[in-house]
Amino acid sequence: MPSYEEIKKQLERYWFNYLKENYKNLSTLNLEGASPPSVFVGHYGYPKVNLGPMVPLEHGDTRILDTPEMWIGKELQDILNIRLALVRGLKTFKTTDLNQRFITSLQELTMSSKSPECEMKFDSRPRFDSDYLTNGNILKIETPPFGPKGGLKSFKLTSSNSDKRIENSYTDGDLKSTQAIIQLYKNGIEVSKIQKILSLGMLGIKKNRKLVPTRWSISAVDDILSSNLTKEISQYDTINSFEVFKYNHLSNWYSILIAPHSVWSFEMIEAWYDKQNKKFVLESDYEDARGLNHYPKIAGAYFAARLGVTEYLSRKKRNAAVLIFREIHPTYLVPLGVWQIREGIRESLRNDHPEKCKDFQTALICSSNGLQVPLIDWIRKSNFYKNYGKQLLISRFF
Amino acid sequence: MIFVKTATPEEWKAIASAISTIVDEATFEASVEGISFRGMDPSHVALIDIFWPNSAFQQYECDSLIKFGVRIDEFAKLIKRSEKKDSIEITINQDSMLSIKIENGYKKEYKMRLIESSSSSTPLPKLSFNSKIVLSYSTFDKILSDIQVLSDYITIDTKSDNVHFLGRGDSGDADIALDSKSEGLEELICKEDSLATYSIDYLLKITKAISTVGGSVIAEYSSKMPLRLEFTVAGVGRIHFYLAPRIQD
Repeated sequence: MPSYEEIKKQLERYWFNYLKENYKNLSTLNLEGASPPSVFVGHYGYPKVNLGPMVPLEHGDTRILDTPEMWIGKELQDILNIRLALVRGLKTFKTTDLNQRFITSLQELTMSSKSPECEMKFDSRPRFDSDYLTNGNILKIETPPFGPKGGLKSFKLTSSNSDKRIENSYTDGDLKSTQAIIQLYKNGIEVSKIQKILSLGMLGIKKNRKLVPTRWSISAVDDILSSNLTKEISQYDTINSFEVFKYNHLSNWYSILIAPHSVWSFEMIEAWYDKQNKKFVLESDYEDARGLNHYPKIAGAYFAARLGVTEYLSRKKRNAAVLIFREIHPTYLVPLGVWQIREGIRESLRNDHPEKCKDFQTALICSSNGLQVPLIDWIRKSNFYKNYGKQLLISRFF
Repeated sequence: MIFVKTATPEEWKAIASAISTIVDEATFEASVEGISFRGMDPSHVALIDIFWPNSAFQQYECDSLIKFGVRIDEFAKLIKRSEKKDSIEITINQDSMLSIKIENGYKKEYKMRLIESSSSSTPLPKLSFNSKIVLSYSTFDKILSDIQVLSDYITIDTKSDNVHFLGRGDSGDADIALDSKSEGLEELICKEDSLATYSIDYLLKITKAISTVGGSVIAEYSSKMPLRLEFTVAGVGRIHFYLAPRIQD
């Protein structure tokens, strides 16, 4: 496996080449291309926000450029290629300015089931944001990296065809946003798509609608969908054996322990490598069936993982207690966004052959096998460990 | 149809806030005898059992068995819009609305929508208790807070002539000892030495919820078995809080 330094060098090389190649194309004030569709709503200055479409220099079906559900199996470099290809055009609006034509055209773009052709005219040549390589705060970034951006003079959608399922939720001004999100999900709309729809203020009671910054919208949708699924699975019987699933991608190593329990509980422990002190630092969040009582310390990663796991249990029609270990290795150079966690967990649980273990202790050992952080460190940080099998249920005494 | 009237809102306040510590949606049952509630928290660790006899009301009219469901926070919010000396009338007609009339000087009426009531009924744990400890409310509250400073759990160790409340955390241990001479311990009965551990989080929440009412708390349990707390609230026949134990290493 290439080292941190090698990957970093490679990435920098790629970055400069990309800039050189695209400089000419991007030096124009006009851009035409097919948006995946893709939109961005910033959070700086909230409730006044920057927002706009994201369009590549490509035409045709560009859906893959903003559909993380299609990215499993890709390498860091591939994902960056995808992300950097999208050029953002931005304008500033208040979150309640939903009647502005610019925003309604973005809503129309978002509703599209194909990749509509768009034209962007810029105030000035699009440029890259600050560089991602020196961004130290890599764990807290909820949004994937972006390509260049520029202030928009005008935006035109030259084709579109709207998805009826989305249009129905959009026109229903009496349906609460939580219910609308669940309905879209049940109708088979991808989670990444629902996040864009919510972001553009297209859901919920008409008078309450407003723009939602992309990074908040992503976690809100993961949270709402997975909370709803925990309610659903609470009606099912427990799984009957200890299952351990493993999955590694993009320098993120996952271990998922699913344990028999008649009531839901969930913990995710993250270990990220502190290069200065040369050791892993652990952080964790835990909930029992009463739900989470604080905003997670591991932020959106928590909700993304919980969605992956509750989808699995809903499919199996089973309840369980779930403990996830996530190791983030130093070669995870650029934070790619929480989709990486959601899709990683989903992919892991698609595997029908987990390791089956006879008891909790064996399952824990199995879970930490192959990880670099020793079991004792995971356990020290774990509330799941403190409670599993130790807190008896009152129903046991009926 | 149900029509019930109390001279003060205090009982309703205590009941609503007690229930809100374990569930979001509560199904009450009203019968000729009185109003009852029984429910478990989503983690199935705690259970509340309430019975409020018709004799405790100023007026009580209920001719059949009626279940009604409320969002407990909404209900509590409305009840809290009353003051200590306000009388409270609660009426449910056929229209799936619950009306709360608050009267003191002038009349105020709220109507809130009922929600679908749960059909399943929760059984009670079958228990016999070897130890009984009666503490003043404020002593019990203080003991919990004292232990919580360094521990998430409380171990209750009862012998014939004393009771110890113990806590253990990463930073150290706590030991609170009471005997018949101690202030706050009103009664101690121990048929057999009893030792069990419980989550403080649950105990503190329920204790704080009923705090406006004061009085005393009766704690009963046996080794490694659930704890039952009985809170005395004027008029309400029974507020029982059951909590499953933890297994300690």
